[in-house]
Amino acid sequence: MSVLTKQAPGAAAALGAGAPGRPSRGTPRRKNQRSGYLFLLPWFLGMLFTIIPFFASLYLAFTDYNLFMEPNFVGLANFQAMAGDPRLWQSLKVTFIYTFVSVPISLAVALAIALVLNRGLQGLAIYRSVYYLPSLLGGSVAIVMLWRYIFGNDGIVNGFLSLFGIQGPAWVTDPDFSLSTLIVLNVWTFGSPMVIFLAGLRQVPTMYYEAASIDGASRWRQFRSITIPLISPIIFFNLIMQLIGSFQTFTQGYVMSGGTGGPADSTLFYNLYLYQKGFTEFEMGYASAMAWLLLMIIAIFTAVNFIASKFWVFYDN
Amino acid sequence: MKKTTTAGMPRRMFLGAAVTAAGLALSGCGGGAAPAAGGNVELNFVYWGDANRAKMTDAAIKVFEEKNPGITVKSEYQDSGPYADKLATRFAGGNPPDVLNMANRSLLEYAQRGTLADLRSMPELDLANIPDTIQSRGEVDGKLFGLATGVTTIGMVVNKTITDQAGVTIPDDKTWSWEDYAKFATEVTQKTGGKVYGAGYDVATETGPILFARQRGEDFYTKDNKLGVSEETIRDWFQYSVDLREAGGYPPAGFFEQIGGSAAQSYLAKGTVASQIIPINNYKAYNEAAGGNVVLLRMPGETTLERRGYSADPSMLWSIAAKSKHPKEAAKLLNFLVNDADGAAETLTQRGVPINPEIAEAIKPKLSKDDTAFVDMVAAIQEDELAPAYVYPKGASVVADTLKQLATEVEFGRITPADAAKTFLEKSNAAINK
Repeated sequence: MSVLTKQAPGAAAALGAGAPGRPSRGTPRRKNQRSGYLFLLPWFLGMLFTIIPFFASLYLAFTDYNLFMEPNFVGLANFQAMAGDPRLWQSLKVTFIYTFVSVPISLAVALAIALVLNRGLQGLAIYRSVYYLPSLLGGSVAIVMLWRYIFGNDGIVNGFLSLFGIQGPAWVTDPDFSLSTLIVLNVWTFGSPMVIFLAGLRQVPTMYYEAASIDGASRWRQFRSITIPLISPIIFFNLIMQLIGSFQTFTQGYVMSGGTGGPADSTLFYNLYLYQKGFTEFEMGYASAMAWLLLMIIAIFTAVNFIASKFWVFYDN
Repeated sequence: MKKTTTAGMPRRMFLGAAVTAAGLALSGCGGGAAPAAGGNVELNFVYWGDANRAKMTDAAIKVFEEKNPGITVKSEYQDSGPYADKLATRFAGGNPPDVLNMANRSLLEYAQRGTLADLRSMPELDLANIPDTIQSRGEVDGKLFGLATGVTTIGMVVNKTITDQAGVTIPDDKTWSWEDYAKFATEVTQKTGGKVYGAGYDVATETGPILFARQRGEDFYTKDNKLGVSEETIRDWFQYSVDLREAGGYPPAGFFEQIGGSAAQSYLAKGTVASQIIPINNYKAYNEAAGGNVVLLRMPGETTLERRGYSADPSMLWSIAAKSKHPKEAAKLLNFLVNDADGAAETLTQRGVPINPEIAEAIKPKLSKDDTAFVDMVAAIQEDELAPAYVYPKGASVVADTLKQLATEVEFGRITPADAAKTFLEKSNAAINK
């Protein structure tokens, strides 16, 4: 908690610093601060409802709480049991594969589409909405159900493949393929990073490109030497948000597998296993300990990213 | 940024924990509400099922409310999966429903944690007509925590339209062996040119191996709530499906995408498999969904192995929460559900054959042809001497999950049946003995 709250304003600052056009350093900021806090108010109110369970779970992580009986303090027993729990390792494996495959791809896709949309297309608002739509829907139960049908044995994907005489695999039920369908689903929901990229791209002053083309720089060179450095804070922000969101994936795995994490634990996301432990097996103490492990994993990844960001994120001030 | 602070837990878990904390605080200081005297009592009644079951149940509740002025029943239902999850939070939150459905595999978990009321301590509930064999399936440590909603068992359903068209004769189900079933299934696949698979039963549902184990002289779950099934039996159960798949009688790996859905969504109804194992109280639904020419058969191997595998089982249980604020009224409702002919006239055999023989007899004239076939089969099976069956042990839900996982691994050839059996025993024993 402490790690993250300390960093949270950092992330906001990073984004703010990266977005050109904000008031420069010298101007009086009090008024701005007040409206800033006003905007944060809903979050503070919301936090009241999470802060109690938050600390309750920290306590429960060190107990044998089973939902029905009074919790007993058991020290580090839950964490020790976790080290020897093969399903926990499996769930970590699933979550890491999912994160490390889908986050880079979806960021790349989001940036690519944003670049295309940034070229002054007519009807930009429509395209933007169309591409953003999956982001709103992707985590919903209905879309995951739809995904099941699209990738089903008689679904569109295998129907398409059969046009070329290819017998598609059982995407949903074969443990070797089931996770890949969920990765595709996640990549498909590139809309929200795309919109943020688009906002960033539109803030890059065109004079840089003009100067570069006079100097004879190719488009690729311009992209690498102007676009990427100038939007690097946006890339960084998107990376952090996508990483955190992806570590916390739950709905997709739950719906796709009917809550089991199957076939054969191939879609057993960390949070899905946590949920099973807490609500199917009633081991709430263990589940709380798992929640704290995930928090630490996310905190470590975020911290590493912040440290690494010093070497590639460029703040234009 | 909110996402950052909720890191590590799904939102609903946070809520669950909050509710839990609140519940604990309440149970610590609350003195228990005084039972409402004379005033209107509202009972909370929850069960799992589909819209059809809910319609029948609502009709029965109406009868109950008419017969018991001053009691209103607020009911709620979900699918079995979400129901189980929600039930746990209801209890944990200190606000359990008064009357509820309990799964066989969860009874012990709830009962041994002191969350359920001893039904024998409730004078409003008349158990005089309930056979001991039925009561024993809801007994934990000598107390009665669950009462069967009805009796059912599993059976094989075969779509006769398909077998007739293919020119395949259905073997005599009174004497058929597992080999006969395999031969039959393979023949169906061959003669339909692979359009229909002869067998389509679910390898991973525990009722199958439970029956198979009993036929081989083993108790899957023993009297002292342990795992009694041998590694060889589990291995052979898996191996049977592997062999049947190789022979062509069983669909290829990955074919089944949604097992356990409703009858209308079943592969039997779609006409892509010719036979399936079902809990036979659903026979009517399957017959209607698959075109009306489905025959109900006994399971294979009943006379060809060591002993009979059949048992008459609670399809599910009724329980009353120990913390119910209206135990008297709850017991009245439960009594109505098992002992009232007018109520049963509305629910019929929706939850299995009524456990009170008088009630079962009373509703007989009202039953459709398919439901009569189901009731008759349950009765016929009970005419023979059946091996005893016991309450599922603690950890039975983990056993069920383990079976499902391993069945998939075997299906895709990622593990041999022998290794799967070994792993199954290890994991199941660990869960049960914990």
